[in-house]
Amino acid sequence: MKKILALVLAVAMLLSVAAAGAETVTTLPRNKTLYHGGWQYGSIAAWNPLHSNSNNSMAISANPRGSRTLVWETAYMYNALDGKLYGLLAEDGYEWNEDMTQLTFGVKAAAKWNDGTAVTADDVVATWEAWKKLDGYNGTYAGYAPYIANIEAADGKVVISLVTNDEGKPVNPLLVYDYLSGTYILQKAWLDSMFEKHGGDAKAVAEDTCSEKDVPYSGPYTFYFDNDQLTVLVRDDNYWGQDESMWGKLPVAKYQAHTIYSGNDASLVAFKEGQIDVNQQFVSNIQDLWEKDGLAISTYMDEAPYGVCATMPTAWFNMEVPVLQVKEVRKAIAMAVDYDTIIANAMTNQSPSFADVPRSVMNPTDGEQALLDHDAIQPYQWDATDDLDTRIEKAKALLDEAGIVDTDGDGYREYNGEKVSLKSCCPNGWTDWQAAMEVVAAAGEKIGLDITTNYPEWDIYQTVFTAASQTEYDIFMWSPAGAAPSSPWARVRGLMSSEYIGLNSNWSGNFGHWSNERADEIIAAIPLAATEEEQKALYTEATILYLDEVPSFSLMYRPESFYAVNETVWTNFVSQDLNAELAAEGKPQIPPLDLIDGYGIAGQYYIELVE
Amino acid sequence: MSKGYRKYFKKKIFWFIITFIVAVMLNFFLPRMMPGDPVNAILSKTLGNTTDAAAIQKQYEVYQQAFGLDKSLPEQFLIFCKNAIRGDFGLSFSQYPRSVSDIISSSIGWTLALQIPAIIVGWILGNVLGAVAAYRRKIWDKVVMPVSLFFSAVPAFGAAVVLLVIFGITLKWAPVNGAYDPGMIPNFSWEFISSVIRHYQLPFFSIVLISIGGQAVGMRSMSIYELNADYVKYSRFLGIKDKKIVRYVFRNAMLPQVTGLAMSIGSSVGGALVAETIFSYPGLGSTMYKAITASDYPLISATTLIITVMVLIASFLLDIIYAFIDPRVKAAQFD
Repeated sequence: MKKILALVLAVAMLLSVAAAGAETVTTLPRNKTLYHGGWQYGSIAAWNPLHSNSNNSMAISANPRGSRTLVWETAYMYNALDGKLYGLLAEDGYEWNEDMTQLTFGVKAAAKWNDGTAVTADDVVATWEAWKKLDGYNGTYAGYAPYIANIEAADGKVVISLVTNDEGKPVNPLLVYDYLSGTYILQKAWLDSMFEKHGGDAKAVAEDTCSEKDVPYSGPYTFYFDNDQLTVLVRDDNYWGQDESMWGKLPVAKYQAHTIYSGNDASLVAFKEGQIDVNQQFVSNIQDLWEKDGLAISTYMDEAPYGVCATMPTAWFNMEVPVLQVKEVRKAIAMAVDYDTIIANAMTNQSPSFADVPRSVMNPTDGEQALLDHDAIQPYQWDATDDLDTRIEKAKALLDEAGIVDTDGDGYREYNGEKVSLKSCCPNGWTDWQAAMEVVAAAGEKIGLDITTNYPEWDIYQTVFTAASQTEYDIFMWSPAGAAPSSPWARVRGLMSSEYIGLNSNWSGNFGHWSNERADEIIAAIPLAATEEEQKALYTEATILYLDEVPSFSLMYRPESFYAVNETVWTNFVSQDLNAELAAEGKPQIPPLDLIDGYGIAGQYYIELVE
Repeated sequence: MSKGYRKYFKKKIFWFIITFIVAVMLNFFLPRMMPGDPVNAILSKTLGNTTDAAAIQKQYEVYQQAFGLDKSLPEQFLIFCKNAIRGDFGLSFSQYPRSVSDIISSSIGWTLALQIPAIIVGWILGNVLGAVAAYRRKIWDKVVMPVSLFFSAVPAFGAAVVLLVIFGITLKWAPVNGAYDPGMIPNFSWEFISSVIRHYQLPFFSIVLISIGGQAVGMRSMSIYELNADYVKYSRFLGIKDKKIVRYVFRNAMLPQVTGLAMSIGSSVGGALVAETIFSYPGLGSTMYKAITASDYPLISATTLIITVMVLIASFLLDIIYAFIDPRVKAAQFD
């Protein structure tokens, strides 16, 4: 019996080793490896940077708010803390022509591909042409084509010509910034070879998984290993960025690794045990990890809200529901919500309160708040001054005035003779959002509206709020745009633009399909505002309109990415203290974007080993 | 092979083919009846700034075409069958553009390596325990059996979480995540193998623990029944030694247990889901769980097809073996 058992176990071990697909004899040295968490929850599907649906979280995530530039690089890096674009492959700074219809920038002379050839303006042009060819298989071209007419090379520089309106003005110069920080620049020679390899078939190019993992790159890291449990990037010690015109040195960690966990619980256990150094994961009561558990864990700030909030999870009213077309009903619900409870319970105070940062269309950052006339919007901010009880009374009065009253004495108000019953929803398992939705439902109860909560699985939920028409649910949650070069304009657009009405698979905004002519005019005017004062007036008007009409309402503030670090192995991570030191030296502050997104990657050059 | 055997096999094969066809149809159609829209989920990443309805529709159609969703369900089913014969289950929705076959081939090894030994060990220990409890009684029957019963009643996720919390998090005797240490790249070194063994412990024992109880209870009941059978009493009357009688008793009692073993092995892929998910074990169970939550129809169909085929093969082999090893079955089937 013992022999059989031993044999079975031995065979199992061998099978396990074989299942792992033995390739390289290596154990990553802990003191040379920076472990990330919260990004990769499945094995990597592709290493093709043209494939915009890639789940390759450590290498491919191009987004205006902060692209991941460990492997492939963008022209500019966005810094959410100061709202500026910093040159990466591009030289710092760019030039607009007089009427802002053309933007010109140069490519850094030192910028090189890993094969030693120079990154040139032709590569930038070829990349735009590739997006064009891939239209339909990748949303990049369709997203920017209404704003960017052409990209060409002239005298070694890149010239971007904008689409203009009838008056010869650019449709939207802001979105050019998004393109520059939100799309990778790829090597022309490789792009040509890809289309040649597939006989010009764009679909085949888009579906190529690039399983050889040998796509030319310009970033500091490249593929090292990946399987069902682990993904590892290794530093390229010939990285051009060690040139003085860029970082002046190599990033500190030799390896960037991400273990694939089954979910947040497993990932949190690993983080607590020091198996993850930088964790992008919401951890409720995160302060307990150092205050109660005594772990070497910290966040960007020592005190609540512990991070930089840049977006606002929002409850959207379904405008197809007749009773929600009544402004007073929308406003009454929003007024009666106990936001302090949401922030204390759902976000465990990892959000400023609406008393600290009164509601508007802006996120809490100083840069965005400066774009508002706060005195003008104050009368519309229903929860800035009134306490909850007062708000509830005011909400009831608002409903009474609108004629929405309880006529049959059942405790619930009626609209057109029928009890007002609303179904609110958010994805199952998103516990902070679910807690917020319960508070919204409770608010309904307090003012005589029957609001019930429903939590469909994510796969079903994602069809709820993105649908062109929604008849099952009445209130749903999603977040508008966070920080990006085109924000806060992009957020105003997402909150109020009627261009999203009637769209199927609408992942962009105005999920409740509210329509307002003046809002559309403001959205069109902001990008073309000649002065900052004009822009401020428009943003202020947009905020007043939003707070008065309440097509949706923010429930809390939230970071763009969650950020917590375990300083067992590495230290000197991006923090408020580090940024204070950098500011004192006159250097840009680094956004707490997990050391991998946008200008947040600068944090890679500051970390140090604990021992 | 006699005519009787041939007739028996033909009959069995016929019914297994019918079962297989029905199972394949269910594997294909049931996941596709779930609500949700996998293409919409993919578009969340690919659309970017696109607000042009025509552009969105174009992308929607491209992905529908890539997954064959633009065709009618019967057409999709025929294509699925045609391709499945060649081992091509199409592209995964959730891991597009990775193929389903690639995903399965990289994870099935972990599942088989975890499940089969755990099931066999659980089966052996359970049967030994059940047999001893039946034969020796006393403390075995009063303490060990109730304890096994308790564990058999514990749901799979309960046992796994308890082991994880006690031995993984509190006592730190064994790692709780993955199949080997996070910083390791698979290789044939002792360091790696020992890491695999360390990570193997908790998921392995979580499966063994819950399977012992069920096996032990069945074996004990069968053994008690056999121990009171006429042939045992007669053997004792003849003065045959207990040791020899017990061998016959357990051989007879074992027959239904063999069925249990075969079925457990057959359904091992499905059974792997809980342990693999809780311990982040990179096997087919975790893959199947993610596929279900993402409405990844091709991946769900392929994984459930594997379960179907394994269960069918196990029960088919069982029927065949039974026909040889148990004359009663043979006699009944041949009638």
